[in-house]
Amino acid sequence: MVPATAPRRGRATLLLVGLLVAASAGFSALKVATDKIAREKLPGSSIIYVPSGKFLKFAAFGYRALAADAVYLWSIQYYSTPTIDDRYDHLDHVFAIINELDPRFQDPYEVGAMIAVQGAQENRARPEAAARLLAAAFAILDRGAANNPDQWIYPFNAGHIALMTLKDYALAETYFERCMAIPGAPEFVERLRANAIFKKGDLQTSWETWLDIYKRAPDERTKKIASNHLYNVKATMDKAALEAALAEYRKRTGRPPAGLDALAGAGLVREVPKDLDGKDYVYDPAAGTVTTVISPWRR
Amino acid sequence: MRIGAIAGITFKEAKRDRVLYLLFFFAALGILASRVLAILTVGDRLKIIKDVGLASIAVFGVLMAILIGTGLVYKEIDKKTIFTLLAKPIRRAEFILGKFLGLVLTLFVMTAAMTAIFLAIVFAHTLEVEGALLVAVAYIFLELVLVTAVAVLFSSFSTPILSSLFALAFYLIGHLSWGLKLILAKMAPGPGRALVRALYTVLPDLENFNFKTEVVHGLPIPPGIYLPSLLYGLCYTAFILGLAILIFRRRDFI
Repeated sequence: MVPATAPRRGRATLLLVGLLVAASAGFSALKVATDKIAREKLPGSSIIYVPSGKFLKFAAFGYRALAADAVYLWSIQYYSTPTIDDRYDHLDHVFAIINELDPRFQDPYEVGAMIAVQGAQENRARPEAAARLLAAAFAILDRGAANNPDQWIYPFNAGHIALMTLKDYALAETYFERCMAIPGAPEFVERLRANAIFKKGDLQTSWETWLDIYKRAPDERTKKIASNHLYNVKATMDKAALEAALAEYRKRTGRPPAGLDALAGAGLVREVPKDLDGKDYVYDPAAGTVTTVISPWRR
Repeated sequence: MRIGAIAGITFKEAKRDRVLYLLFFFAALGILASRVLAILTVGDRLKIIKDVGLASIAVFGVLMAILIGTGLVYKEIDKKTIFTLLAKPIRRAEFILGKFLGLVLTLFVMTAAMTAIFLAIVFAHTLEVEGALLVAVAYIFLELVLVTAVAVLFSSFSTPILSSLFALAFYLIGHLSWGLKLILAKMAPGPGRALVRALYTVLPDLENFNFKTEVVHGLPIPPGIYLPSLLYGLCYTAFILGLAILIFRRRDFI
Protein backbone atom coordinates (compact mmCIF):
# COMPACT_ATOMS: atom_id res chain seq x y z
CA MET A 1 0.00 0.00 0.00
CA VAL A 2 1.33 3.41 -0.99
CA PRO A 3 1.44 5.84 1.93
CA ALA A 4 -0.88 8.83 1.69
CA THR A 5 2.06 11.23 1.88
CA ALA A 6 3.56 9.91 -1.40
CA PRO A 7 1.52 12.05 -3.85
CA ARG A 8 2.07 15.09 -1.64
CA ARG A 9 5.78 14.39 -1.61
CA GLY A 10 5.79 14.03 -5.40
CA ARG A 11 3.98 17.34 -5.80
CA ALA A 12 6.47 19.03 -3.50
CA THR A 13 9.39 17.66 -5.52
CA LEU A 14 7.78 18.89 -8.73
CA LEU A 15 7.26 22.27 -7.13
CA LEU A 16 10.89 22.36 -6.08
CA VAL A 17 12.11 21.43 -9.56
CA GLY A 18 9.82 24.13 -10.94
CA LEU A 19 11.34 26.60 -8.51
CA LEU A 20 14.84 25.57 -9.56
CA VAL A 21 14.02 26.03 -13.25
CA ALA A 22 12.34 29.39 -12.62
CA ALA A 23 15.21 30.59 -10.43
CA SER A 24 17.88 29.53 -12.93
CA ALA A 25 15.95 31.16 -15.79
CA GLY A 26 15.58 34.24 -13.62
CA PHE A 27 19.25 34.63 -12.71
CA SER A 28 20.35 33.86 -16.30
CA ALA A 29 18.07 36.57 -17.66
CA LEU A 30 19.18 38.99 -14.95
CA LYS A 31 22.82 38.22 -15.71
CA VAL A 32 22.24 39.21 -19.35
CA ALA A 33 20.38 42.33 -18.18
CA THR A 34 23.13 43.46 -15.76
CA ASP A 35 25.79 42.81 -18.41
CA LYS A 36 24.10 45.37 -20.63
CA ILE A 37 24.43 48.11 -18.02
CA ALA A 38 27.71 49.94 -18.57
CA ARG A 39 29.60 50.64 -15.35
CA GLU A 40 32.19 53.36 -14.93
CA LYS A 41 35.76 52.17 -14.85
CA LEU A 42 38.83 53.83 -13.43
CA PRO A 43 41.70 54.18 -15.88
CA GLY A 44 44.05 51.32 -15.07
CA SER A 45 41.85 50.18 -12.21
CA SER A 46 41.80 46.62 -13.47
CA ILE A 47 45.51 46.18 -12.73
CA ILE A 48 46.18 48.89 -10.18
CA TYR A 49 46.48 46.31 -7.41
CA VAL A 50 48.77 43.94 -9.26
CA PRO A 51 51.60 43.69 -6.76
CA SER A 52 55.28 43.80 -7.57
CA GLY A 53 57.03 40.65 -8.71
CA LYS A 54 59.28 40.83 -5.65
CA PHE A 55 56.23 40.40 -3.41
CA LEU A 56 54.65 37.77 -5.64
CA LYS A 57 57.87 35.73 -5.51
CA PHE A 58 57.08 35.07 -1.86
CA ALA A 59 53.35 34.86 -2.29
CA ALA A 60 53.74 32.23 -5.02
CA PHE A 61 55.68 29.96 -2.63
CA GLY A 62 57.45 27.37 -4.79
CA TYR A 63 55.36 28.07 -7.87
CA ARG A 64 57.17 31.13 -9.21
CA ALA A 65 57.43 29.87 -12.75
CA LEU A 66 53.76 28.89 -12.71
CA ALA A 67 52.83 32.32 -11.35
CA ALA A 68 54.95 33.91 -14.12
CA ASP A 69 53.11 31.76 -16.69
CA ALA A 70 49.75 32.80 -15.27
CA VAL A 71 50.58 36.52 -15.29
CA TYR A 72 52.08 36.20 -18.78
CA LEU A 73 48.99 34.44 -20.16
CA TRP A 74 46.78 37.02 -18.56
CA SER A 75 48.93 39.85 -19.96
CA ILE A 76 48.62 38.47 -23.49
CA GLN A 77 44.84 38.53 -23.17
CA TYR A 78 44.91 41.93 -21.53
CA TYR A 79 47.10 43.62 -24.12
CA SER A 80 45.28 42.03 -27.03
CA THR A 81 41.99 43.55 -25.93
CA PRO A 82 41.80 46.88 -27.78
CA THR A 83 38.67 47.93 -25.91
CA ILE A 84 40.80 48.55 -22.79
CA ASP A 85 41.92 52.05 -23.71
CA ASP A 86 44.36 52.46 -20.84
CA ARG A 87 45.96 49.04 -21.15
CA TYR A 88 49.43 50.40 -21.89
CA ASP A 89 49.57 52.54 -18.73
CA HIS A 90 51.25 49.90 -16.55
CA LEU A 91 52.96 47.82 -19.20
CA ASP A 92 56.47 47.95 -17.76
CA HIS A 93 55.12 47.12 -14.29
CA VAL A 94 53.23 44.08 -15.57
CA PHE A 95 56.20 42.67 -17.49
CA ALA A 96 58.57 43.49 -14.61
CA ILE A 97 56.42 41.17 -12.47
CA ILE A 98 56.82 38.32 -14.96
CA ASN A 99 60.53 39.01 -15.32
CA GLU A 100 61.06 39.06 -11.56
CA LEU A 101 59.07 35.87 -11.04
CA ASP A 102 60.92 33.96 -13.74
CA PRO A 103 64.00 35.81 -15.01
CA ARG A 104 64.88 33.00 -17.46
CA PHE A 105 61.45 33.04 -19.09
CA GLN A 106 62.53 34.46 -22.46
CA ASP A 107 59.27 35.16 -24.32
CA PRO A 108 57.94 37.92 -22.06
CA TYR A 109 61.00 40.11 -22.72
CA GLU A 110 60.54 39.95 -26.47
CA VAL A 111 56.74 40.05 -26.45
CA GLY A 112 56.63 42.81 -23.81
CA ALA A 113 58.97 45.00 -25.86
CA MET A 114 56.97 44.26 -29.00
CA ILE A 115 53.72 45.27 -27.28
CA ALA A 116 55.39 48.46 -26.02
CA VAL A 117 56.51 49.40 -29.55
CA GLN A 118 53.03 48.62 -30.88
CA GLY A 119 51.59 50.82 -28.12
CA ALA A 120 53.99 53.62 -29.03
CA GLN A 121 52.82 53.43 -32.64
CA GLU A 122 49.17 53.49 -31.57
CA ASN A 123 49.92 56.54 -29.40
CA ARG A 124 51.74 58.54 -32.09
CA ALA A 125 49.29 61.40 -31.55
CA ARG A 126 50.40 61.60 -27.90
CA PRO A 127 54.20 62.00 -28.09
CA GLU A 128 54.64 61.84 -24.30
CA ALA A 129 52.83 58.49 -24.03
CA ALA A 130 54.65 57.14 -27.09
CA ALA A 131 58.04 58.12 -25.60
CA ARG A 132 57.11 56.47 -22.29
CA LEU A 133 56.19 53.25 -24.08
CA LEU A 134 59.40 53.21 -26.07
CA ALA A 135 61.29 53.73 -22.81
CA ALA A 136 59.34 50.74 -21.42
CA ALA A 137 60.43 48.64 -24.42
CA PHE A 138 64.08 49.42 -23.70
CA ALA A 139 63.58 48.82 -19.95
CA ILE A 140 62.09 45.36 -20.64
CA LEU A 141 64.87 44.41 -23.05
CA ASP A 142 67.55 45.77 -20.69
CA ARG A 143 66.12 43.52 -17.96
CA GLY A 144 66.24 40.62 -20.38
CA ALA A 145 69.88 41.33 -21.14
CA ALA A 146 70.78 41.75 -17.46
CA ASN A 147 69.01 38.51 -16.45
CA ASN A 148 70.25 36.57 -19.46
CA PRO A 149 73.74 37.85 -20.34
CA ASP A 150 74.26 34.92 -22.71
CA GLN A 151 71.34 35.94 -24.95
CA TRP A 152 72.24 38.30 -27.82
CA ILE A 153 68.60 38.72 -28.85
CA TYR A 154 67.83 41.45 -26.27
CA PRO A 155 70.51 44.01 -27.22
CA PHE A 156 69.78 43.09 -30.85
CA ASN A 157 66.05 43.85 -30.47
CA ALA A 158 66.82 47.04 -28.55
CA GLY A 159 69.21 48.13 -31.31
CA HIS A 160 66.58 47.36 -33.92
CA ILE A 161 63.96 49.45 -32.08
CA ALA A 162 66.46 52.31 -31.69
CA LEU A 163 67.34 52.11 -35.39
CA MET A 164 63.91 51.63 -36.95
CA THR A 165 61.40 53.17 -34.52
CA LEU A 166 63.17 55.66 -32.28
CA LYS A 167 65.68 56.60 -34.99
CA ASP A 168 68.30 57.21 -32.32
CA TYR A 169 71.25 55.92 -34.33
CA ALA A 170 73.86 56.47 -31.61
CA LEU A 171 71.76 54.34 -29.23
CA ALA A 172 71.33 51.71 -31.93
CA GLU A 173 75.11 51.60 -32.44
CA THR A 174 75.63 51.08 -28.69
CA TYR A 175 73.11 48.20 -28.54
CA PHE A 176 74.54 46.50 -31.65
CA GLU A 177 78.03 46.79 -30.17
CA ARG A 178 76.78 45.04 -27.00
CA CYS A 179 75.10 42.38 -29.09
CA MET A 180 78.29 41.71 -31.10
CA ALA A 181 80.20 41.10 -27.87
CA ILE A 182 77.94 38.15 -26.96
CA PRO A 183 79.12 34.77 -28.31
CA GLY A 184 76.76 33.38 -30.92
CA ALA A 185 75.55 36.78 -32.18
CA PRO A 186 74.92 36.58 -35.93
CA GLU A 187 77.49 38.22 -38.21
CA PHE A 188 74.91 40.56 -39.80
CA VAL A 189 74.74 42.55 -36.53
CA GLU A 190 78.04 44.24 -37.37
CA ARG A 191 76.52 45.35 -40.69
CA LEU A 192 73.54 46.81 -38.79
CA ARG A 193 76.01 48.64 -36.57
CA ALA A 194 77.85 50.01 -39.60
CA ASN A 195 74.53 51.16 -41.03
CA ALA A 196 73.63 52.85 -37.72
CA ILE A 197 76.98 54.69 -37.78
CA PHE A 198 76.22 55.83 -41.34
CA LYS A 199 72.76 57.05 -40.38
CA LYS A 200 74.24 58.81 -37.38
CA GLY A 201 76.21 60.90 -39.87
CA ASP A 202 79.70 59.67 -38.98
CA LEU A 203 80.64 58.94 -42.60
CA GLN A 204 84.38 58.44 -42.03
CA THR A 205 83.85 55.78 -39.30
CA SER A 206 81.10 54.21 -41.39
CA TRP A 207 83.50 53.98 -44.39
CA GLU A 208 86.18 52.37 -42.22
CA THR A 209 83.69 49.92 -40.67
CA TRP A 210 82.24 48.86 -44.03
CA LEU A 211 85.75 48.53 -45.46
CA ASP A 212 86.71 46.27 -42.57
CA ILE A 213 83.57 44.16 -43.15
CA TYR A 214 84.40 44.01 -46.88
CA LYS A 215 87.93 42.81 -46.19
CA ARG A 216 86.80 40.13 -43.71
CA ALA A 217 83.72 39.03 -45.69
CA PRO A 218 83.42 35.26 -45.46
CA ASP A 219 81.42 34.95 -48.70
CA GLU A 220 80.59 36.76 -51.95
CA ARG A 221 77.15 37.84 -50.74
CA THR A 222 78.56 39.66 -47.71
CA LYS A 223 81.26 41.17 -49.90
CA LYS A 224 78.60 42.47 -52.29
CA ILE A 225 76.53 43.95 -49.46
CA ALA A 226 79.60 45.68 -48.00
CA SER A 227 80.59 46.91 -51.46
CA ASN A 228 77.15 48.45 -52.02
CA HIS A 229 77.33 50.21 -48.67
CA LEU A 230 80.86 51.43 -49.42
CA TYR A 231 79.53 52.78 -52.74
CA ASN A 232 76.73 54.54 -50.86
CA VAL A 233 79.01 56.02 -48.18
CA LYS A 234 81.49 57.33 -50.79
CA ALA A 235 78.65 58.74 -52.92
CA THR A 236 77.20 60.52 -49.88
CA MET A 237 80.58 62.06 -49.00
CA ASP A 238 81.27 63.09 -52.65
CA LYS A 239 77.76 64.45 -53.08
CA ALA A 240 78.13 66.61 -49.97
CA ALA A 241 81.49 67.98 -51.18
CA LEU A 242 80.22 68.63 -54.74
CA GLU A 243 76.98 70.28 -53.65
CA ALA A 244 78.90 72.55 -51.26
CA ALA A 245 81.22 73.51 -54.15
CA LEU A 246 78.21 74.09 -56.44
CA ALA A 247 76.70 76.44 -53.89
CA GLU A 248 79.98 78.35 -53.60
CA TYR A 249 80.23 78.56 -57.42
CA ARG A 250 76.71 80.00 -57.63
CA LYS A 251 77.57 82.48 -54.94
CA ARG A 252 80.66 83.66 -56.81
CA THR A 253 79.28 83.75 -60.35
CA GLY A 254 75.56 84.17 -59.79
CA ARG A 255 74.77 81.17 -62.00
CA PRO A 256 75.19 77.41 -61.84
CA PRO A 257 78.09 75.84 -63.73
CA ALA A 258 77.38 74.04 -67.01
CA GLY A 259 79.17 70.93 -65.78
CA LEU A 260 81.01 69.57 -62.76
CA ASP A 261 84.39 70.15 -64.52
CA ALA A 262 83.81 73.87 -64.04
CA LEU A 263 84.18 73.34 -60.25
CA ALA A 264 87.74 72.04 -60.72
CA GLY A 265 88.45 74.90 -63.15
CA ALA A 266 87.30 77.38 -60.51
CA GLY A 267 89.55 75.75 -57.91
CA LEU A 268 86.59 74.73 -55.73
CA VAL A 269 87.54 71.01 -55.88
CA ARG A 270 90.94 69.50 -56.64
CA GLU A 271 89.38 67.09 -59.13
CA VAL A 272 85.85 65.94 -59.87
CA PRO A 273 85.41 62.67 -57.96
CA LYS A 274 84.01 59.54 -59.59
CA ASP A 275 81.84 56.94 -57.90
CA LEU A 276 83.26 53.68 -56.51
CA ASP A 277 82.78 52.02 -59.90
CA GLY A 278 84.78 54.81 -61.62
CA LYS A 279 81.70 56.33 -63.22
CA ASP A 280 80.85 60.05 -63.32
CA TYR A 281 78.15 61.47 -61.06
CA VAL A 282 75.06 62.86 -62.77
CA TYR A 283 74.73 66.63 -62.42
CA ASP A 284 71.41 68.44 -62.91
CA PRO A 285 72.22 72.17 -63.47
CA ALA A 286 68.56 73.20 -63.17
CA ALA A 287 68.08 71.58 -59.76
CA GLY A 288 71.71 71.98 -58.68
CA THR A 289 71.83 68.34 -57.50
CA VAL A 290 74.34 65.54 -57.90
CA THR A 291 73.23 61.88 -58.03
CA THR A 292 74.81 58.52 -58.76
CA VAL A 293 74.31 56.97 -62.16
CA ILE A 294 72.80 53.89 -60.53
CA SER A 295 71.17 53.11 -57.18
CA PRO A 296 73.75 51.66 -54.74
CA TRP A 297 71.44 48.71 -54.19
CA ARG A 298 71.10 47.86 -57.92
CA ARG A 299 74.75 47.71 -58.93
CA MET B 1 6.66 29.98 12.35
CA ARG B 2 8.63 26.74 12.55
CA ILE B 3 11.21 28.26 10.21
CA GLY B 4 11.43 31.24 12.58
CA ALA B 5 11.98 28.96 15.56
CA ILE B 6 14.79 27.06 13.82
CA ALA B 7 16.31 30.34 12.65
CA GLY B 8 16.22 31.66 16.21
CA ILE B 9 17.92 28.55 17.56
CA THR B 10 20.53 28.69 14.77
CA PHE B 11 21.20 32.33 15.63
CA LYS B 12 21.64 31.47 19.31
CA GLU B 13 23.90 28.57 18.39
CA ALA B 14 26.03 30.71 16.07
CA LYS B 15 26.33 33.36 18.78
CA ARG B 16 28.08 30.78 20.96
CA ASP B 17 30.55 29.83 18.24
CA ARG B 18 34.04 31.07 19.12
CA VAL B 19 35.06 31.09 15.45
CA LEU B 20 32.56 33.89 14.89
CA TYR B 21 34.21 36.10 17.51
CA LEU B 22 37.69 35.22 16.31
CA LEU B 23 36.79 36.28 12.78
CA PHE B 24 35.06 39.40 14.06
CA PHE B 25 38.18 40.26 16.04
CA PHE B 26 40.35 39.95 12.93
CA ALA B 27 37.86 41.90 10.85
CA ALA B 28 37.87 44.71 13.41
CA LEU B 29 41.65 44.55 13.50
CA GLY B 30 41.76 44.79 9.71
CA ILE B 31 39.45 47.80 9.70
CA LEU B 32 41.44 49.51 12.44
CA ALA B 33 44.73 48.66 10.71
CA SER B 34 43.51 50.53 7.63
CA ARG B 35 44.35 53.75 9.47
CA VAL B 36 47.89 52.53 10.07
CA LEU B 37 48.24 51.38 6.47
CA ALA B 38 46.99 54.76 5.30
CA ILE B 39 49.97 56.38 7.01
CA LEU B 40 52.30 54.36 4.80
CA THR B 41 50.81 55.66 1.59
CA VAL B 42 51.73 58.70 -0.44
CA GLY B 43 48.58 60.48 -1.55
CA ASP B 44 44.97 59.64 -0.80
CA ARG B 45 44.88 58.05 2.66
CA LEU B 46 41.10 57.93 2.78
CA LYS B 47 41.08 55.66 -0.24
CA ILE B 48 43.29 53.13 1.57
CA ILE B 49 41.05 53.27 4.65
CA LYS B 50 37.94 52.67 2.55
CA ASP B 51 39.54 49.95 0.44
CA VAL B 52 40.93 48.00 3.38
CA GLY B 53 37.79 48.52 5.46
CA LEU B 54 35.37 47.32 2.79
CA ALA B 55 37.67 44.41 1.89
CA SER B 56 37.83 43.37 5.57
CA ILE B 57 34.04 43.36 5.84
CA ALA B 58 33.73 41.32 2.64
CA VAL B 59 36.53 38.82 3.31
CA PHE B 60 35.76 38.14 6.96
CA GLY B 61 32.04 38.08 6.25
CA VAL B 62 32.60 35.40 3.62
CA LEU B 63 34.82 33.45 6.02
CA MET B 64 32.08 33.62 8.66
CA ALA B 65 29.47 32.44 6.16
CA ILE B 66 31.64 29.57 4.98
CA LEU B 67 33.15 28.41 8.27
CA ILE B 68 29.89 28.50 10.20
CA GLY B 69 27.54 27.67 7.32
CA THR B 70 29.36 24.53 6.24
CA GLY B 71 29.00 23.00 9.72
CA LEU B 72 25.36 23.94 10.24
CA VAL B 73 23.60 20.89 8.83
CA TYR B 74 26.54 18.51 9.13
CA LYS B 75 26.80 19.04 12.90
CA GLU B 76 23.14 18.09 13.36
CA ILE B 77 23.71 14.89 11.41
CA ASP B 78 27.04 14.14 13.09
CA LYS B 79 25.65 14.61 16.62
CA LYS B 80 22.47 12.70 15.68
CA THR B 81 20.31 15.63 16.84
CA ILE B 82 18.75 15.57 13.39
CA PHE B 83 16.72 12.51 14.44
CA THR B 84 15.14 14.42 17.32
CA LEU B 85 14.40 17.35 15.05
CA LEU B 86 12.97 15.44 12.13
CA ALA B 87 10.85 13.29 14.46
CA LYS B 88 8.90 16.48 15.15
CA PRO B 89 6.39 17.85 12.61
CA ILE B 90 9.07 19.78 10.75
CA ARG B 91 9.55 19.54 7.01
CA ARG B 92 13.10 19.15 5.78
CA ALA B 93 12.67 22.28 3.65
CA GLU B 94 11.74 24.21 6.80
CA PHE B 95 14.83 22.88 8.52
CA ILE B 96 17.11 24.04 5.69
CA LEU B 97 15.40 27.44 5.39
CA GLY B 98 15.51 27.91 9.18
CA LYS B 99 19.22 27.12 9.31
CA PHE B 100 19.85 29.47 6.39
CA LEU B 101 17.86 32.36 7.84
CA GLY B 102 19.47 31.89 11.27
CA LEU B 103 22.92 32.28 9.76
CA VAL B 104 21.80 35.20 7.61
CA LEU B 105 20.58 36.92 10.78
CA THR B 106 23.94 36.23 12.46
CA LEU B 107 25.79 37.65 9.47
CA PHE B 108 23.50 40.67 9.42
CA VAL B 109 24.42 41.46 13.03
CA MET B 110 28.12 40.89 12.36
CA THR B 111 28.10 42.98 9.18
CA ALA B 112 26.29 45.76 11.04
CA ALA B 113 28.91 45.68 13.80
CA MET B 114 31.82 45.69 11.35
CA THR B 115 30.19 48.51 9.36
CA ALA B 116 29.76 50.56 12.53
CA ILE B 117 33.49 50.27 13.29
CA PHE B 118 34.32 51.05 9.66
CA LEU B 119 32.10 54.13 9.51
CA ALA B 120 33.55 55.32 12.81
CA ILE B 121 37.08 55.06 11.40
CA VAL B 122 36.06 56.94 8.24
CA PHE B 123 34.28 59.54 10.38
CA ALA B 124 37.41 59.99 12.51
CA HIS B 125 39.31 60.79 9.32
CA THR B 126 36.80 62.98 7.49
CA LEU B 127 34.41 64.10 10.24
CA GLU B 128 31.62 63.19 7.81
CA VAL B 129 29.22 60.25 7.62
CA GLU B 130 29.49 58.83 4.14
CA GLY B 131 26.17 57.21 3.32
CA ALA B 132 27.44 55.98 -0.06
CA LEU B 133 29.59 53.45 1.74
CA LEU B 134 26.41 51.75 2.94
CA VAL B 135 25.53 50.92 -0.67
CA ALA B 136 28.75 48.93 -1.01
CA VAL B 137 28.14 47.26 2.38
CA ALA B 138 24.53 46.38 1.47
CA TYR B 139 25.66 44.55 -1.66
CA ILE B 140 28.48 42.86 0.27
CA PHE B 141 25.74 41.57 2.58
CA LEU B 142 23.76 40.32 -0.44
CA GLU B 143 26.88 38.45 -1.54
CA LEU B 144 27.18 36.97 1.97
CA VAL B 145 23.56 35.77 1.75
CA LEU B 146 24.35 33.93 -1.48
CA VAL B 147 27.58 32.43 -0.07
CA THR B 148 25.61 31.32 3.02
CA ALA B 149 23.13 29.50 0.78
CA VAL B 150 26.05 27.80 -0.97
CA ALA B 151 27.59 26.80 2.38
CA VAL B 152 24.25 25.34 3.51
CA LEU B 153 23.90 23.47 0.20
CA PHE B 154 27.29 21.77 0.55
CA SER B 155 26.74 21.21 4.27
CA SER B 156 23.60 19.21 3.45
CA PHE B 157 25.56 16.40 1.80
CA SER B 158 29.29 16.83 2.52
CA THR B 159 31.80 17.18 5.35
CA PRO B 160 32.65 20.66 6.68
CA ILE B 161 36.18 20.59 5.21
CA LEU B 162 35.02 19.66 1.73
CA SER B 163 32.06 22.01 1.98
CA SER B 164 34.41 24.87 2.94
CA LEU B 165 36.60 24.13 -0.08
CA PHE B 166 33.59 23.94 -2.41
CA ALA B 167 32.09 27.16 -1.03
CA LEU B 168 35.45 28.92 -1.31
CA ALA B 169 35.76 27.70 -4.89
CA PHE B 170 32.26 29.06 -5.59
CA TYR B 171 33.36 32.44 -4.18
CA LEU B 172 36.53 32.50 -6.28
CA ILE B 173 34.70 31.41 -9.44
CA GLY B 174 32.10 34.09 -8.75
CA HIS B 175 34.76 36.78 -8.75
CA LEU B 176 36.69 35.44 -11.73
CA SER B 177 33.88 34.38 -14.08
CA TRP B 178 34.03 37.76 -15.84
CA GLY B 179 37.23 36.46 -17.46
CA LEU B 180 35.05 34.22 -19.63
CA LYS B 181 33.70 37.37 -21.25
CA LEU B 182 37.21 38.19 -22.51
CA ILE B 183 37.56 34.67 -23.89
CA LEU B 184 34.13 34.95 -25.54
CA ALA B 185 35.18 38.13 -27.31
CA LYS B 186 38.08 36.28 -28.92
CA MET B 187 36.28 33.05 -29.83
CA ALA B 188 34.92 32.31 -33.28
CA PRO B 189 31.24 31.32 -33.43
CA GLY B 190 30.69 27.59 -32.96
CA PRO B 191 29.88 24.96 -30.36
CA GLY B 192 32.89 25.94 -28.21
CA ARG B 193 31.71 29.52 -28.04
CA ALA B 194 28.16 28.41 -27.23
CA LEU B 195 29.52 26.27 -24.40
CA VAL B 196 31.57 29.13 -22.97
CA ARG B 197 28.58 31.45 -23.37
CA ALA B 198 26.41 28.97 -21.43
CA LEU B 199 29.05 28.65 -18.73
CA TYR B 200 29.37 32.42 -18.50
CA THR B 201 25.59 32.76 -18.04
CA VAL B 202 25.21 29.97 -15.50
CA LEU B 203 28.31 30.50 -13.36
CA PRO B 204 27.85 32.96 -10.49
CA ASP B 205 28.91 36.53 -11.16
CA LEU B 206 29.64 38.04 -7.76
CA GLU B 207 30.98 41.18 -9.45
CA ASN B 208 27.31 42.15 -9.72
CA PHE B 209 27.47 42.88 -5.99
CA ASN B 210 30.82 44.64 -6.11
CA PHE B 211 30.33 48.40 -5.90
CA LYS B 212 33.42 49.00 -3.81
CA THR B 213 35.45 50.70 -6.57
CA GLU B 214 32.65 53.05 -7.54
CA VAL B 215 31.90 54.00 -3.93
CA VAL B 216 35.55 54.51 -2.93
CA HIS B 217 36.37 56.63 -5.99
CA GLY B 218 33.04 58.46 -6.00
CA LEU B 219 32.18 57.19 -9.46
CA PRO B 220 28.56 57.32 -10.56
CA ILE B 221 26.71 53.99 -10.26
CA PRO B 222 24.08 53.50 -12.98
CA PRO B 223 20.75 53.63 -11.10
CA GLY B 224 19.40 50.86 -13.32
CA ILE B 225 21.83 48.31 -11.92
CA TYR B 226 20.63 48.21 -8.30
CA LEU B 227 17.41 46.28 -8.86
CA PRO B 228 18.71 43.72 -11.41
CA SER B 229 21.72 43.02 -9.15
CA LEU B 230 19.45 42.59 -6.13
CA LEU B 231 17.09 40.29 -8.06
CA TYR B 232 20.06 38.37 -9.48
CA GLY B 233 21.31 37.71 -5.95
CA LEU B 234 17.87 36.67 -4.73
CA CYS B 235 17.21 34.39 -7.73
CA TYR B 236 20.61 32.72 -7.40
CA THR B 237 20.09 32.27 -3.66
CA ALA B 238 16.63 30.77 -4.28
CA PHE B 239 18.14 28.40 -6.85
CA ILE B 240 20.89 27.24 -4.47
CA LEU B 241 18.45 26.83 -1.57
CA GLY B 242 16.05 24.90 -3.82
CA LEU B 243 18.91 22.60 -4.75
CA ALA B 244 19.87 22.19 -1.08
CA ILE B 245 16.28 21.30 -0.14
CA LEU B 246 16.01 18.85 -3.04
CA ILE B 247 19.21 17.08 -1.99
CA PHE B 248 18.39 17.17 1.72
CA ARG B 249 14.91 15.71 1.11
CA ARG B 250 16.47 12.68 -0.57
CA ARG B 251 19.09 12.08 2.13
CA ASP B 252 18.91 8.95 4.21
CA PHE B 253 20.42 9.38 7.69
CA ILE B 254 20.55 5.73 8.69
